[in-house]
Amino acid sequence: MYMVSEEEIRRIAKLSYLEIKDGEVETMREKFSSVLEYVKKLQELDLSSASETANLSQAENVFREDIGIEKNSEDLLKALSKRRDNYLEVKKILYNED
Amino acid sequence: MKTDLTKLTITEAHEGLKKGEFTSVELTRAFLDKIKEKDPEIKAYVTVSEELALKQAEKADEMIKKGEINVLTGIPCAIKDNILIKGVRCTSSSKILENYIASYNATVIEKLEKLGAVFLGKTNMDEFAMGSSCENSAFFPTRNPHDLERVPGGSSGGSAAAVAADLCVYALGSDTGGSIREPASFCGITGFKPTYGTVSRNGLMAYASSLDQIGALAKSVEDARIVFEAIRGIDKMDSTSTNLKKENDLNKLRIGVPKEYFAEGLDKEVEGAVKNAIETFKKAGAEIVEIGLPHSEYALACYYIIAPAEASANLARFDGLRYGKYSEEDGGEIIDTYLKNRTSGFGEEVKRRIMLGTYTLSSGYYDAYYKRALKTRTLIKEDFEKAFEKVDVVLGPTSPCLPWKIGEKSEDPLSMYLADIYTVSVNLAGLPGISVPCGSFEGLPIGLQLIGAPFTEDKLLSIASLFEKNHDNN
Repeated sequence: MYMVSEEEIRRIAKLSYLEIKDGEVETMREKFSSVLEYVKKLQELDLSSASETANLSQAENVFREDIGIEKNSEDLLKALSKRRDNYLEVKKILYNED
Repeated sequence: MKTDLTKLTITEAHEGLKKGEFTSVELTRAFLDKIKEKDPEIKAYVTVSEELALKQAEKADEMIKKGEINVLTGIPCAIKDNILIKGVRCTSSSKILENYIASYNATVIEKLEKLGAVFLGKTNMDEFAMGSSCENSAFFPTRNPHDLERVPGGSSGGSAAAVAADLCVYALGSDTGGSIREPASFCGITGFKPTYGTVSRNGLMAYASSLDQIGALAKSVEDARIVFEAIRGIDKMDSTSTNLKKENDLNKLRIGVPKEYFAEGLDKEVEGAVKNAIETFKKAGAEIVEIGLPHSEYALACYYIIAPAEASANLARFDGLRYGKYSEEDGGEIIDTYLKNRTSGFGEEVKRRIMLGTYTLSSGYYDAYYKRALKTRTLIKEDFEKAFEKVDVVLGPTSPCLPWKIGEKSEDPLSMYLADIYTVSVNLAGLPGISVPCGSFEGLPIGLQLIGAPFTEDKLLSIASLFEKNHDNN
């Protein structure tokens, strides 16, 4: 079976905003690779003339009036992890590279 | 002897409420008592909303007094824990949402509330609907009421078990690759996934948006129809929703049986029960037509590329900052907070699917995986289109196997994925599908799947009803 490398697993985890602990890498590699191996089944098909289906909705360009909806923002603000007034407080998001 | 109120179907409970044989509060209390007595062993519910339920029941009783009764007024139901009820905790059975209180109502909840429905609580599921057994819940596995050692199916396993154990009259679930039909089959009840777009997904936590659909788990086909009629319809909050409906033009019933559904990997007990079901249709005068769905064998691989790809995008929103889990630790950069919250908040299966989706969408792999899957999806859809030129419905097993023992398949994700082999293509093609009980083996239920052409739910439900009336499950 084709096995995804440890580096590859770590790279994908980083892209996914996930951390894989050292002790978990092997299990993740194995299970990940076995699913990947299975889905490779699609390589058998000749798809040269097939079109792509990304969505089954028959709707195209659904428009609506640009009007505001009265909502109680307090309901949403209550769920914030750290709140200052009506803002979500987070750590600094801009910093120097060095 | 007093009838056990918890055993009633929607239609029966409605009759009782209308005639004043019992009130909605009495009915609701009967369920709350039963939940207290039996749920500690079944574990169908993540949250029981007793206070809300009793308040709603009182309101329903007032509606009934005023003569404002409709078929769902005062009927207690259970809601899968990925559908939002304002003010009630909604976890998707994930640690990352363990303390999340829903800030708005899903459209289906708004609709049911207007009709005077009673919400008993939120049901357990595989985390973010990723799984076929309910074992992927971050909290606890739900048990199959027919055998407590076995899984109830998934991901709507809590909803299915709650209906089967009489812990509610009906339940809502969601179905992305079989998550309503497979647990319905495992628990011996009816599970109905409507055509993609017929029911609004607003307020349903997104797993794979092009596949997700809300539907009913119920004690009869008629009950499933009642719930579907109540929740269907176009919604401005979901631009993929539609009012489309095809007329029920049923003259001579033609049932398509795909030869691919009776190949290797199908349990002989399941095969036997489904063949008996075919006999029932024959006796009822239906014409049985052998059909081909040649791309069936690629459906599962196609699904396990598309669903994780969409999931990797949909689950990017969970960072623990705007809702859910939050790591209080100071120091470090914001990326560290994201990593910490997501790593400790998501379970193993969810992480694997997010990573798989990230991988198949990433540069260098997109064409080989995701694009191929989209093309395969077209072929699967066309297989069904061709079939529906010749037949009214497609018939087959819901699941290739019987409910397995808890823990039996948890080490090998693929063996679990195979349970979805007959259900995923229905989502890929956006079709309506229903699972109805068709027999059992050593007490374990077996489900029959009937699949319809898009927007022909009226026809599909009347065919399922015909089967229910004519088939002897023993």
